[in-house]
This record gives sequence, structure tokens and C-alpha cells, in this order.
Amino acid sequence: MICWKCHEAVQGPVCASCGALQPPPPKPDYFAVLGLKRSYVLDRATLETAWRAVSRKVHPDRYAGKRALERRMSLQWTAAVNEARRVLRDPESRAWYLATGIPRPPERGAPALDPVFLEEMFELRFEAEAGDPEALERAREIHTTLEAEIARRFAAWSAGEGDLDAVPERLTRLRYLNSMLREHEA
Amino acid sequence: MSNIGIDLGTTNSLVAVVMGDNARCLLDDDEQAITPSAVRYTPEGALVGRPALEGAAEHAATTITSVKRFMGRSLKEAQAAAGELHYALAEGDDAVARIQIGETTVTPVEVSAEILKALKRVAADCLLGQINGAVITVPAYFDDAQRQATRDAGRLAGLEVLRLLNEPTAAAIAYGLQEGSHGKYAVYDLGGGTFDISILELTEGVFQVLSTAGDTHLGGDDFDLLLARQLLEAANQPDASGGVFRRAIEAARAAKETLTDAEVAAIDVDLGGTRVTREVSRADFDALIHSTVDRTLTACAQALKDAQLTLDDVDGVVLVGGSTRVPLVRKVVEDFFQKPPFCDLDPDQVVALGAAMQADLLTGTSELADDLLLLDVVPLSLGLETMGGVVEKLIFRCTPIPSQASETFTTHVDGQTAVDIHVLQGEREMASDCRSLARFKLRGIPAMPAGLPRVKVVFTVDADGILTVTAKEEYTNTEAQIEVQPSYGLEEEEIEQMLEDAIDFAETDVDARMLVEARVEAEQVMSALEKAIRHDAGILLDGELESFTAAIASLKEAMAGNDRRKIADSTYKLDELSAPYAQRRIERDLQIALKGRSADEVAINLNIADKV
Repeated sequence: MICWKCHEAVQGPVCASCGALQPPPPKPDYFAVLGLKRSYVLDRATLETAWRAVSRKVHPDRYAGKRALERRMSLQWTAAVNEARRVLRDPESRAWYLATGIPRPPERGAPALDPVFLEEMFELRFEAEAGDPEALERAREIHTTLEAEIARRFAAWSAGEGDLDAVPERLTRLRYLNSMLREHEA
Repeated sequence: MSNIGIDLGTTNSLVAVVMGDNARCLLDDDEQAITPSAVRYTPEGALVGRPALEGAAEHAATTITSVKRFMGRSLKEAQAAAGELHYALAEGDDAVARIQIGETTVTPVEVSAEILKALKRVAADCLLGQINGAVITVPAYFDDAQRQATRDAGRLAGLEVLRLLNEPTAAAIAYGLQEGSHGKYAVYDLGGGTFDISILELTEGVFQVLSTAGDTHLGGDDFDLLLARQLLEAANQPDASGGVFRRAIEAARAAKETLTDAEVAAIDVDLGGTRVTREVSRADFDALIHSTVDRTLTACAQALKDAQLTLDDVDGVVLVGGSTRVPLVRKVVEDFFQKPPFCDLDPDQVVALGAAMQADLLTGTSELADDLLLLDVVPLSLGLETMGGVVEKLIFRCTPIPSQASETFTTHVDGQTAVDIHVLQGEREMASDCRSLARFKLRGIPAMPAGLPRVKVVFTVDADGILTVTAKEEYTNTEAQIEVQPSYGLEEEEIEQMLEDAIDFAETDVDARMLVEARVEAEQVMSALEKAIRHDAGILLDGELESFTAAIASLKEAMAGNDRRKIADSTYKLDELSAPYAQRRIERDLQIALKGRSADEVAINLNIADKV
């Protein structure tokens, strides 16, 4: 890219030559805006450090005395950076984002759940409602196994040994389990 | 030129500035840093601060105190919050509370502007007139309308409001810089009329607000009121108002202040002909206020929960606000957080000092700015009313600001060209339990079959925590018009009218120089835009040219006069108005560059862009 102000080549949000803030990308990649590489594995500390580093460059406090154009772009940048952090902080929304490009299940066309899994869930729910304490324990175990499976699929994908096609369906299972656990733990 | 920091408090206000390496509060002619937030309207004009309070008992109906409680409030809310007022709220339109002063009325915004003007005079005297902009602090828990009202008061006082800063955050800045601390801190801010608790994390020079909670109607004034009621009952005047009530409050406040250091306070006051003489021990006073102080702990627990922290995670507690001088408050805070609170800085001054530091950061030439950044959060969730009066939250509380969220709307009837939208703020599920911020009507949606239009509405919370809304119909790419009807607060036209009425032509050398600078700036902005339009009319949106032309005309009209504020204001508006167009041009040019058009052509376009 070239800087809109001084026409030098520019990388990242701020021009190294003249210090002008560049327009934010129209559909920002959440990992790219934070200067992170796309990965399911992302610890909180790395994310927060990256977020603070970019915030330092784009935050409105840095552009308080500038013209409306740069103040406006600063607001858009910071909002994008904050949104990226919000989505990437939560492993589930991070997984949705990597697998589908949006940070939550699609409004229409969410993946259908496997009938065998559904049947298992109905049974668990029935037992849990009947007051069986082991039912919730089993639900938690399935939850842990699912999370491990999702992590495994992402690891394989990162290594170039597989795709993420099955991930949305597994994430939908996870959601189902989460809502069931919430209902009964509350 | 200096930027100043202002703590616009319920009971007291202060102004501070960074001089050299230190922030310091500026003193008035009486060598006092504190200006009581009191305004008395007299036939000769408004008195502010101590002069307003002197003889307040005799002029109770025209002496306004604690006006901050009514900022951004409707008449109904103000009536509910009024407690035992010695001045009268005016009946009338519900959208804005007004105060009756003799035959006329004033709004809380105007009263606050008087206080700000007085602080500006103090600063101008100390700094030889060289004031650039101001950072004004607000309780972290202030909602959108209250923030807007504070900003409006700043404008009305002739201040360029650089930023609204949350009070606890300001306090943390003041402390953090001195201590060079790292870790998680709770800022417990009990002022005269409001309580705020914020949890902040300090890392590598970044102050990040993790959570904030509070109560906008809880403060040291409540302690005074509890004791004053006892005194009034002792005088058989439980329903006293006006001067008698004021005297009871004053006696109670004096006793409270005595009890900070002494074990016993003697009260001797004449309440409407009955003399009340008694001794109040600290134990008596503590028993009286205990449940009120305890109410602050609910918010403390909420803030910890929102920050996902336990008490063990908190490295320190900072005390802010004059009411934290009350020994019981210190004890309750220490017991709750299980550690002695910091109180090295004067709790009355700490917010103003932090505001001055933030103001200095915003000058762009500050040496601190390379090391320090402040990341604040939205205090209350923002949402929209959906079917059945349920609120759908779009921006959750404690989200870092600036923040944007969007929602796509469609139509329910064939050919429908408008959609109603109701924006709310608060944590409750039902719209009726949340605070109404604004009602919008999206108009100009192209007539299409039901469900086909896609109107994308973008909600933006800026660094001041103030909300703006824009909308676009995505199917035909037409910008939908929005009619904003703020549920509470003053209309822009009312503010403009007040500005017109309030302008004073205090001509000094500095003013004359700033007038020249304002004209040069205005010329630059105007000619760059006119040039851009000549070259690039093609990407103007419907109605954009008309709005630019109108803004240019009003700028030219301002330039015909000699009021630099009016010129600067009109320049600012034109600059703001044309910024989206300038950004579109840049983005278009970058697109062309990406598509590999000749570099020369791009350079020509870019050349024009950088002038806008």
C-alpha cells in the first residue's frame, strides 16, 4: 500500500514516513488488524499485548489535535481493533471466525446436528431433569472431549493436514451442551 | 498554550494544569483551589463559588447547588432525584429539567456552564490567558445524556472540550504516574453526590479500565442530609425548606467535617427560631450513615464480578472524593478490600490533577504521550427495543471504547419506506426498565417488497462515551436519513441559541491573534474542500453537496464577523461534515492504486486528497 498523504510505501495503520493514519480496511481481518497470525491457539497475554500495541498507534488520544479526517479514521481503527480483541478473546467465537469467517453461528443455515448426538443429548437432558447427578458429569466429559477434538482439528489444519469442514458442526454441539449445562447448573 | 483539566464536581469543582513535570491545581484570588459548585443568580448576573454560597441561606431560592444531579435528566427524573431542594424545578416540557429563578428558568447545562466559566477565568488569570482546550471529568457511571449535557456545558462556557474523562480513571492517572505502578487497582470515588467504583489494570503504561459500576445518587451530601433531618426534627421543623433547611445542612456538614479528626462535634444552630444545641459523637454519626456507606459495597462487588476478579487479585485501593475523608468510609473500604487504601494525594484534588495530565497528553507535544495510553470502557450496555418491548443489547457494558456495532433492519410491509428505532441504555431486559436514549425514524428507504430492503444501522460510541448513529440501505446503497430525537437533553438549536446569547467579546491581544489563526484555518479547510469538489464531484452522495454549500455559507458568514469562537466552531463543523467525503476519496484512490492504474494518475488524485 502507499500512504495517502506522502505517497511512500506503508505497512500497518500508521505511515512510518509522515506519521499519517491510514484508512482502516473495509472488512478487517481480526488477526491482521492486531498483527497476529491466524491461529486457534492464542493465549490471553499475547492477545492483550498485541491489542495494547496497536491501540497505542491508532487510539483517538493520539489524534486529538488532528483534522476530522484522521480523527474519524482513528475512531474506526480503534473500534475495529476493539472488536477484533472481543472476538478473538473467546475460544468459541475465535473458532467460529476461523472456520466460517464470522464470529458466531450463521443466522440461517446453521449446521444440522448429528442425529446420534442429538439422541444422546435428549437422554442426558431427560436424566438430568430426573435428578441424576451423573448425567451432568457425563455432559461435562463430552464437553471436554469436544473441545479437545476441535483443538486437534485446528492443529491439523495449521500443519496443513486437514480442513475445518467439520468444525462448525462440532461448535454447534458445544453450544448445545453449554446451554444445557447452564440451564442445569443455574 | 495550555490544555486544562477540570473536575466539575457535584459539590466542588477544581481546575488544574501541567506545568513542567507536575500537575497542579490552580488557585483563585483567595488562594483557594476549590470552587464550590454553587451558582447564585442576581439581577447583576451570576455569582459562582464562595460568593454564591455567602448568604445562600437568605437567597436559597436563587442559589443553585448540586446541579450535577440534574445534568441530562428529564423533569420527572429530576423531581425524583431532587431530595430536599431549596430551589424550585420549573414545570414544563419533560425532556429537560429546568430550574425556576424568579420569572425565568435556567437549565442545568447553563448553570454548569457558569461554573466552568468561573474555572476558566481562574485558569486564564494564572496562565495569562493562554488556554487551548479542556478535559472535563464525569462520573464513570454517567450515561449518554449526562455526558452530552456536560459537553454542551463546556461549549457554552467557551471551552474546547477535548475529552470527557471518567473521574476514577483520572484519579488512577494521577496516582499511577507518581507511583509507576503495575497491577490491578480499585478506585473508590465517593463525592458529594455520586459514587463510582472502577477497577483498572496498569500494564506497560496502558491504563485499562476493566469494569466500572456506581450510583449516581449516593454521596457525602446524603450524610449531611441524614444528620440535618435529625436536627430539623429536634427543632420540630421536619418539613422545613429554604433558608432553615440550608442552615440545618450547613450545621450538619460542619459537624461531619469536625468528626473527621475529632471524636465529638458540637452543634449549635438556630433553626427557624428554635435553637438546637447538641453534641454528636463519631459513634452516633457512624450509626446514622452506616447503611448508606454500605450501599457502596454492592457496586464494589458488581465491579469485581464484571472484571472477573476476586478480592485477592486487587493490588491496591485508591480513595477519591472529599467524602472518603469520613473515617467510617475508610474503615468500610479497608474491611471490604482487606487492605489499607492509598490516600497520599489530596482526595479533593486527585481527579483534577489526572484530568490535567490527560489534557497534557492530548496536546500532541506531551512527553508523557509516548509512554502512556488510557483505554476506557462503556459504563452501561446499549441496545435496541425489539418485538414485545424486549431489549436486544448491541454493545455490552465494559466494552472498550471507541466501539462500533451494527444491526440490519428490514421492512414488514410492501412499499414501506420508514422504520422506527428505539435506542436504550441499561442492563435490564425490558425496554421500559432501561433509559431511553433516542428514538429514530429511518426514512428514505426505497419502496420495495417487504423484507427486501436491508438497512444497516451503525452505532458508534466515541472516546467520550457518546453515541452517534448512521444508517445505510445496503440493497440500493442509499444512505438512509436519520431523524434523531434525543429522549432527554437539549436540542442542538437550543444550544446554538444559548451560544449566541452568551457570547462575550472580551478582546485581548491573545484573542486578536487567535482570530487571525481561526481565519487562516477556516480558509484552508474551505479552499481544500472547494478544490476537492471541483475535481471529484462524482463521488458526492445525494444531498452532500447541498450540506457542504450550506456549511461553507455559514462559515463565510462567521468570517464576516470578528467572533473567533464562531469562526472556529463553523470551521470545525465543516471539517467534520466533509471528513467522510475526504475518506471516500482516499479509499477510492487507494483502490485505483491497487488495481494497477498508472502511478501518475494516482499521485494526482492523492495530491488533492491530502489537502482536504
